[in-house]
Amino acid sequence: MCAAEALAFEGVGFAFGGRQPVLEGVDVQVPAGGLCAIVGVSGCGKSTLLRLAAGLLQPTAGRIRGAGDRRAFVFQSPTLLPWRTVAANVRLPLEVLGDLEGAGPRVAAALARVGLSEVATALPRTLSGGMQMRVSLARALVTRPRLLLLDEPFSSLDALTRRRLQEEFLSLRRDLGITTVLVTHDVDEAAWLSDQVVVLGGRPATVQAELTVDLPRPRTRELLHDPALGRISRAIEEAL
Amino acid sequence: MSESRLHWAWPVLAAALGCGIWALVASRLPEVLLPGPLEVLVAASAHHERLLAAAGNTLTASVLGLALAMSWGGLGAVVFLRSRWLEVALYPYALLIQTVPIVAIAPLLVVWLGYGPPVAVVTAAIVAFFPVLTSANLGLRSASTAQVELLRLHGATWHQELLKLRLPASLPYLFAGLRTAVGLSVIGAVVGEFVGSSGLPPCLGYLVIQSARSAETALTFATIAACAGLALVLFAIVRLVEARIIGPWHGEVR
Repeated sequence: MCAAEALAFEGVGFAFGGRQPVLEGVDVQVPAGGLCAIVGVSGCGKSTLLRLAAGLLQPTAGRIRGAGDRRAFVFQSPTLLPWRTVAANVRLPLEVLGDLEGAGPRVAAALARVGLSEVATALPRTLSGGMQMRVSLARALVTRPRLLLLDEPFSSLDALTRRRLQEEFLSLRRDLGITTVLVTHDVDEAAWLSDQVVVLGGRPATVQAELTVDLPRPRTRELLHDPALGRISRAIEEAL
Repeated sequence: MSESRLHWAWPVLAAALGCGIWALVASRLPEVLLPGPLEVLVAASAHHERLLAAAGNTLTASVLGLALAMSWGGLGAVVFLRSRWLEVALYPYALLIQTVPIVAIAPLLVVWLGYGPPVAVVTAAIVAFFPVLTSANLGLRSASTAQVELLRLHGATWHQELLKLRLPASLPYLFAGLRTAVGLSVIGAVVGEFVGSSGLPPCLGYLVIQSARSAETALTFATIAACAGLALVLFAIVRLVEARIIGPWHGEVR
């Protein structure tokens, strides 16, 4: 699709309006095409870090390089606009960007990629939670992003749907090779999906540990029962 | 009996019972004090041309007043959304409009506008304004943080945010406010006509006063019923439009 771009947090700190800082001195390098999982307990500042990478917030210290403007964000909830059809929801970022050339085929391609071509004209409320999340993923892909930011996208799904969507996500990533940052509190998910895991903790939050996940790709379902993955998960848990 | 039949049967039965009691009480009192349901029907049919003409004018005043309230209330809410400063400065006065009795304002409007339909239009607009403003104000802020972030992520302008997100998201709130406002607009118009109508063109507010003064109590009852009918029709139209516009995505309109 598009050339991937590396992302770097360099001494990044953030505080809301002069209050006690939420993040301090965060140094993380995500290589082009890499998948970095950010793990931490609830409220530790993971989502804030992601919003900084998205440009929704500006760091109060340090800088973020390579975030560019071709970035897409997948929220914890599908965040679809209920009055728009599935296709119109996927089209929304293109409308906002004013990038409507070939919008129709691009929307159709994005929907086909997540296997939702048949429901293009349906309204979101008629879809299941898993399908809504896939629409949200298609909406992120339609802009051909160089950076994909995901904020616990699988956390609100039931276990079965979550596993299926994680597998679809892995295969999507294999095809597209977009630099990705995934925020999650699920240790196994972090180990199974990512190339590197950053553990955030403390107040203000700093990087407590950074682990490289050297599991082979493609990541299959069998790998979930692999002792190597278990070791990585335990290492993450210990760092938490 | 099925649930839906029961749904209709009970209110009809209650109405029949109510009319029965009404007729019984009325039969023991002079008609000037309390006409029976039959007398009211007779009066309504005898004066149906007057009633219809009056209802038509009151309807026009209510709808025009409602349209004014919607445009000013909607505009006010958009301005408040744009400027927190203006909201803080002006919202207390919007509240003030709500607290001043419309009957007290109406004579002043006659001084300014003279006798005639404009007074009823303005009183209808004044009473309908507040529910429109508050519901639009609430509705424009009803989009979730994530929805707003989604648009800002792609560099949406304030206008894009308003048109693509905040306005459509406000519709369920706006219709809820409109359901209140539509009934109030009829009340407002009738009150305006009480004070600000000289009887020409005919209107329900004037007809209520005039028939009561000339002891045509049955006609007064028929006129009051026409006022209520007018509000009901307008309410039903709002519900119909609401179900059509937001029903498909917002779910069952209750």
